[in-house]
Amino acid sequence: MNENEFIDKWNAEKPQYAAWGAYVIEYISSGLLKNGKNLNEFLKIPVKYRLKENQSLLDKAFSRKDKNYKDPYNEIEDKVGARFVVLLIDDIRIICEIVLNNSNWDIDSCKHFDVDRDRDPLLFTYQSVHFVVRPKTDLTSNGSTIKAGTPCELQIRTLLQHAHAELTHDAIYKSKRTVKPKVHRIVAKSMALIETTDDFFSEATRYLNYGPLQEHNILTELDNVYFLLTNIKPSNQKSSLVIWDTFEQLIDENLINLIKKFVNKYEHIGETIKQNYNNNSVYPQSIVLFVYWMLKHRRTILIRDWPLHMSVLESFAIDMSVSLQVDS
Amino acid sequence: MLLTNLDIERIVIHQVFQRTSEGLTKDPLQSHDLTKFDTSAMTAFKLRVIDALGESSKAVQMQIYNQDSNGLPSLVDKLVELDDTNFILESYEIAKKLTTAQSKKSIPGGIVVVFTGKYGVSRKKFLAVIKAEVHSAYEKLQDPQTQEISLKFVEEVLLTPSSKLYKTAAFFEKASYATPTTDLNDKWTVLISDYQISQSDGKAAAHYFYSEFLGFCYPETSARTTKAFYENASDFISQLPVNESKKSDLLNALTTYMKTDLSSTISCNDFSSKYFDVNTQDLFNEYMEDAGIPTTAFTKDIEHIASKLKFRKVSFSKNVKISAPSDVFKDYVEIETIPGAPDATGSPTVWTKVIIKDRISNQE
Repeated sequence: MNENEFIDKWNAEKPQYAAWGAYVIEYISSGLLKNGKNLNEFLKIPVKYRLKENQSLLDKAFSRKDKNYKDPYNEIEDKVGARFVVLLIDDIRIICEIVLNNSNWDIDSCKHFDVDRDRDPLLFTYQSVHFVVRPKTDLTSNGSTIKAGTPCELQIRTLLQHAHAELTHDAIYKSKRTVKPKVHRIVAKSMALIETTDDFFSEATRYLNYGPLQEHNILTELDNVYFLLTNIKPSNQKSSLVIWDTFEQLIDENLINLIKKFVNKYEHIGETIKQNYNNNSVYPQSIVLFVYWMLKHRRTILIRDWPLHMSVLESFAIDMSVSLQVDS
Repeated sequence: MLLTNLDIERIVIHQVFQRTSEGLTKDPLQSHDLTKFDTSAMTAFKLRVIDALGESSKAVQMQIYNQDSNGLPSLVDKLVELDDTNFILESYEIAKKLTTAQSKKSIPGGIVVVFTGKYGVSRKKFLAVIKAEVHSAYEKLQDPQTQEISLKFVEEVLLTPSSKLYKTAAFFEKASYATPTTDLNDKWTVLISDYQISQSDGKAAAHYFYSEFLGFCYPETSARTTKAFYENASDFISQLPVNESKKSDLLNALTTYMKTDLSSTISCNDFSSKYFDVNTQDLFNEYMEDAGIPTTAFTKDIEHIASKLKFRKVSFSKNVKISAPSDVFKDYVEIETIPGAPDATGSPTVWTKVIIKDRISNQE
């Protein structure tokens, strides 16, 4: 295939590749949504597919010395690609799982920084996760037929890894001058720093998101109790985090059992929640059960430290017939 | 008292007056309609009722002694069955009875709120009476143009959150009872919430309300409940994860609370808020509730524990005993736990250092 034939074929097949790129992005995005992720927050750069420019494709196919293609058109796998940029290493794992769990496409794991680090533990260089995915059978998406085996390259990386890639790709890879060893050394140092920082970010996030609530699986358990009582799925809001935060010292492995025992004793609770469902923003949240329990068993500290408006607590005090008067 | 599902159905308000300077009564002012509250006013009203009578309140369970067919308890028994028109009419009798009972010139007038409704899962009836003293306050006014704030003096306001300014009495129909009832106590659980009653020597000041007006007396079970309170509180303190000297202090405090404190009522909340930190307060209240001690206040009667309260005792395993009159113990005996010499097996031991701030007067 000469260069003209190559480009003609590419121009003809572009719509098919575009459809495949769009399909892959759509699939992963909906997987993230199912995971409860807000795409605008989770993806640090809006994701879109990118078709390779004609010139850049020709360069890669015919001019690059480091690539020795026999069948460049089919061997070049990044004719369409998409890049997912996230904040944390753990976020990368979430996307990888979505990709790996789709049995309708073939997956080539071309690059993973974990593997690279094991292979070259002394090297600090470009880090990212690359996959090439291909549909196992022909499929139709948005009116285009995508042939089985059409490749799409996925790059998944953290924001910091991305920053490093931008620098190396634009400033070094495309540099018109020979890059001096000193520059390579500086860039390698920055990668070492980035890897360290990514680890710290993950560690910090784990500490932030891990406390007694997570340790004892309180939220899920309490949601179940709430659903059993009311037949309504609780919709938890930020206000409940404020309450949990205030009374964190009361959370332990016994709490759920105590609350379960408590709601069995006061049978009216489910009905009361349903009747008052729209009265304030706490009734639709499962934490209302914790507040009821506190009113009966940890009243003093509840009244002293209650973090929301007092009228919210008054409403619960009426439900449980508990006096809020304190001796001054 | 567990007042869940509290539904207030009818409210009627009459007004009573202070006696004239000559000591004469003035007829109460009768109201001819039910009072209707909007939702937020009703919520606030319910909150007042629960603050006064609900769990952890200062309400005290009483007993009906006036079983007379003309007495207030019999009147209440009839009132709850009446239709609205007759309820409004007959409830005026309550205001008249209160006027008569307010025998001293110093007792202020106020309004009498009589209300009925249902409570609990079994939807039993209740009737409650609030006597709210009128006091003065300021109302915030804001000029719509300048947004400037000024205060307007309001001479008569009622039922502010401060429970010091109202007295509440309530009759709660019991979940089950045999009919016909000969003793009204079989049918009704009665409570009063009166700030005065829990004050030092408050009984006398509140007497006109609970006795003359309502026909209540202190329940016969007071002495038993008081004893149970004392024993369970002692147990709780001895199980606390604090050192012996702190325990000794707390036991001294308990003795003082039972013996010397002049209030005629006691309550778990009251005791715990005086002597424990916030976390321990909640644990204490929970412990006491589990032990069956009332969650509201109750009247104090130390008859069954008088002898125990006289002496504080500390015993050791080898039959060593220290005993002293409670007030002497509190001031003259200091106890401290110290590490002792290891025993024969080398295990650590705990010794007790006792300081008695006195010389020995006699030895046998």
